[in-house]
Amino acid sequence: MTDPPISVMVVDDHPIWRGGVARDLTERGFDVLATASDADAAARIARTVRPAVVLMDLNLGSSSGVDATREITTALPETRVLVLSASGEHSDVLEAVKAGASGYLVKSASVEELVAAVRQTAAGDAVFTAGLAGLVLGEYRRMAASGDSGQEAPQLTERETEVLRLVAKGLTARQIARRLVISHRTVENHVQSTLRKLQLHNRVELTRYAIEHGLDRDPD
Amino acid sequence: MTVSTGERHSRLLGPLWIAAVILRVVTLAYAIVAFAVHRGGYANQALGAAVLVVMVVWTGVIGYAYVRGPRWRATAAYVDLALTNVLVLLSLFVLSRDQLDVPTPSVTTVWASGAVVAVAVQGGPWRGVLAGTLTALVSYLIRGYVDTDIARDTVMLVGVGFVLGNAASTARASDERLRRALRTEAATAERERLARMVHDSVLQVLARVRRRGADLGGEAAELARLAGEQEIALRALVTTAPPESSVDGETDLGRELRLLNTSRVAVSVPATPVVLPSADTSELVAVVREALANVERHAGPTARAWVLLEDLGDEVVLSVRDDGPGIPPGRLGAAAAEGRMGVSHSMRRRVELLGGSLALETAEGEGTEWEMRVPRRQPAGKERSR
Repeated sequence: MTDPPISVMVVDDHPIWRGGVARDLTERGFDVLATASDADAAARIARTVRPAVVLMDLNLGSSSGVDATREITTALPETRVLVLSASGEHSDVLEAVKAGASGYLVKSASVEELVAAVRQTAAGDAVFTAGLAGLVLGEYRRMAASGDSGQEAPQLTERETEVLRLVAKGLTARQIARRLVISHRTVENHVQSTLRKLQLHNRVELTRYAIEHGLDRDPD
Repeated sequence: MTVSTGERHSRLLGPLWIAAVILRVVTLAYAIVAFAVHRGGYANQALGAAVLVVMVVWTGVIGYAYVRGPRWRATAAYVDLALTNVLVLLSLFVLSRDQLDVPTPSVTTVWASGAVVAVAVQGGPWRGVLAGTLTALVSYLIRGYVDTDIARDTVMLVGVGFVLGNAASTARASDERLRRALRTEAATAERERLARMVHDSVLQVLARVRRRGADLGGEAAELARLAGEQEIALRALVTTAPPESSVDGETDLGRELRLLNTSRVAVSVPATPVVLPSADTSELVAVVREALANVERHAGPTARAWVLLEDLGDEVVLSVRDDGPGIPPGRLGAAAAEGRMGVSHSMRRRVELLGGSLALETAEGEGTEWEMRVPRRQPAGKERSR
């Protein structure tokens, strides 16, 4: 992964943090195309510069990183959003992932972890912390228990549940592969699939909501 | 703000007292008209007039006391009841024998019901019933017989005491609940303001110090580590919502567990609250703390740990895993000797008291994992809402 540098955009409302992350990434050979401090600017600039990876803070003062994530992933299917946020904003993190973010890293992660996560995201893999795995697992169980809004709610296969539980318990993909006697790639695929089903369901729900409320028709 | 004097701010009880005073004034007007109509037949007109004057003055005094506020109401209501009944009793000497037999209304007439209303609003339904009974008894006393009029008055007086007493009790309870809700709301708003402030400034700087320090290495790295510890603690503090009111004796286990997040302990919980009886929650948190202390003692201070909470509806599953050296097979006996199993016994006992089970999984180089499964219990007197 030496040749073309990975292009990145950093979205955070705090200048010290934003500048710091941008510098850390530049020093390690990433191409930081732009930074933004609020959701509107993030979506607008992303459309122009088309970065490979957007590092997204969720707490953007008055605007929400979840909305920005939805806009960016809808408008730019090639761009991946990696949420880099505080550990406590856990329901926002779940919303961002449902809105299309392909991973989540806590702000307390080290620079090395960040670099690895950006590379992984650019390669199309999901970046899961144990915390996110716990949230996703909980979300599937919630949907199963509530028979979510009559709509056919997505379900996890037994293997996917097994993998997610191990991620939530802090095992690395390699450790999981060894324990379940499957390939590292298969582990990644399982994790990826749990996210995709959740995002797809979320999009279907949003569309259904829009149609029910007449939001799909052009105003006269 | 003290809760005991909170009734001063009562939004719901105030109107009841004002209504009671209005009723007193209206019934006083009725009594004056009744006096004008019947005084020709009185045995003692002067005493009758005196009783009426006392009634007018007392209505003014007591009306002022009731509207004035709760400090005066408590005693005023019972003084009111006593004085009113004395006035009712005096009609025995005002009315002539014929009038007492017919029955012509007493001088106090329906005005007397005002004191029952006051005691009911002040003291609740049972005191209201007692006040109604007392007043009915006194009117019976001056007549010496029971007819349909007196029976009806008795039912009305006791009924009024009961109904208004209940209304007042309900208003008081609602008031308290409203006040608590307002307090929680204010506290939450303040907390959010603080959280925003801390997030926008302190946390960003701490995070920056941590990362830059780690890059520089050496002594700076140590400072960075300290900054990192504080950053995580502060984040957990400001981003964890205050506990939902535990009126029902239930607490969100997920919230309590998230407070255990540190740089070496990662806690994973569902986004939706995992509500359990408060006692169960604090016991489970205690067991998790014990497991984490165990990790630090046996897997070393650099070992990392993960806590996972899963809500399966009928039961909750809690796992605590560390990436320490684990316990090699055949060494469980030695581990027992080291006291490791002693810890496990204490944890197991606590989990079993909650009706759950505890499993230990370990292998050399694989770390140690505790898994507890605890059935969901309903707090006493609460039906499952499914």
